[in-house]
Amino acid sequence: MAKLYSKSHEWVEVQEGSRARVGVSDYAQKELGDIVFLELPDVGKEFHKAEQFGTIESTKSVSDLFLPLAGKIVAVNQAVIDNPALVNQDPEGEGWLVEIEIEDKTQLEELLSPQDYRSFIAQEH
Amino acid sequence: MLFQTPLYPEHINQGAKLVDFAGWSMPLEYTSMLKEATQVRKMAGLFDVSHMGKIEIKGAQAEKFLQYLCSNDIASLQRGRMQYNLLLNERGGIIDDVMVYNLGSYFLLVVNAACASKDFSWLRVQGEKFEVAIEDKASFYALLALQGKAAAPILEQTLDSAVLTLSYMSCGVFYYSDFGSLLISRSGYSGEDGFEIWVENEFARRLWQRLQEVGRNYHLALCGLGARDILRLEAGYPLYGTDMDEETNPYEAGLGWAVKLEYKDFIGRSSLEKLKRKIRRRRFGFVMKERGFARSGYPILDAAGQELGVVKSGVYSPNLAQFIGNGFLDSEYAVEGKEVFIKIRNKPYLALTKKFPFLKLGVKKEG
Repeated sequence: MAKLYSKSHEWVEVQEGSRARVGVSDYAQKELGDIVFLELPDVGKEFHKAEQFGTIESTKSVSDLFLPLAGKIVAVNQAVIDNPALVNQDPEGEGWLVEIEIEDKTQLEELLSPQDYRSFIAQEH
Repeated sequence: MLFQTPLYPEHINQGAKLVDFAGWSMPLEYTSMLKEATQVRKMAGLFDVSHMGKIEIKGAQAEKFLQYLCSNDIASLQRGRMQYNLLLNERGGIIDDVMVYNLGSYFLLVVNAACASKDFSWLRVQGEKFEVAIEDKASFYALLALQGKAAAPILEQTLDSAVLTLSYMSCGVFYYSDFGSLLISRSGYSGEDGFEIWVENEFARRLWQRLQEVGRNYHLALCGLGARDILRLEAGYPLYGTDMDEETNPYEAGLGWAVKLEYKDFIGRSSLEKLKRKIRRRRFGFVMKERGFARSGYPILDAAGQELGVVKSGVYSPNLAQFIGNGFLDSEYAVEGKEVFIKIRNKPYLALTKKFPFLKLGVKKEG
């Protein structure tokens, strides 16, 4: 399944069933610059849609991470915690942040398709 | 409106990320500030630092005037040499930290961009009592910094071997038909060997391009202000406006070595004589033992949670692969190896105090 995007520059990719991966977009990592620190939640924590679930820090700034849809954390990518530069290298692949159990799959419909996300970025610029 | 240096078109061509710094549009980074800072310690980096202020002091009493305005001993500054100095107010607070060049017939002050107009006014007012002419020359020149162990071969190949006669903290004027008159010094803000080159605006882009061409064989990196900040903090050098201001005295900033109370009279001296005996806090480094980015303004705590001071500067050091920082600590904690905690988003993160510099520097201070 293709990735869906939030206006706060996170992506969601449904893996199987209601399990999905979440990360930050390639656009976001470019804007942030060198990423040096990630604070991610423990497995088992639950979040509302658009609730802050972590923090991403680049050499330039500190940014909040927002969960694009409500869910429970079922996995955290230890590789990006150990090596945050992985988010710069492969933001929409190996640089994923967390996996969640989606609470309500209808919330997927509120997210942006890749094309819509691209035009959203173009407007923002 | 933001000022642009003569090299601005080069930065645009290179796709630099620009940032507003003290009213100037300057490169923050070209690709990655971490890679840029790594490359300077490994090979070499080229920086546009044309935003720095450049003030010329001429006249029969130029030396006497500077001796009275500056903290260090200008009388011992020989022709063709440069010296680190502080401009102080009557309270002994730091107005700016500056580099003074003795060029024989005149002196040159290189000052921080954010302080340039303040410094100029201060010098002009104080200069009324002396036979001196004070001129702001910044707008006629660009300043390039070439830093790293490959800086010498790159500059030699770009210009000629005459530049190698400069030893650390020496300066001189060199003429080249392609680049006009260059004021070159062996100095910098990275802790590595290197040169700083004042070039007239019209030749700035040509020199920048030529250094880049020659530098290709040496893996020369174009570097922005991000890398510059990382490198100076790794070296333990303070940054005016961030690590110190007019309320900071030289002793607590760790700059007592640039104050010569015993040799001469100067503005701020009588205050410093009193202050010197009661220094309670000191600028000191720390290395994060728990991974966390210590940013400016974060509190520094002891094990019991009592505040010891505040972080002034913090970066991720790519050359140490660790987060480092500095701040002001009570004298008791301003020694190597003390456990302190940096409060990041309400959680304490363990750090160990560390003497400057954070790593072994390449710069050769002798000679």
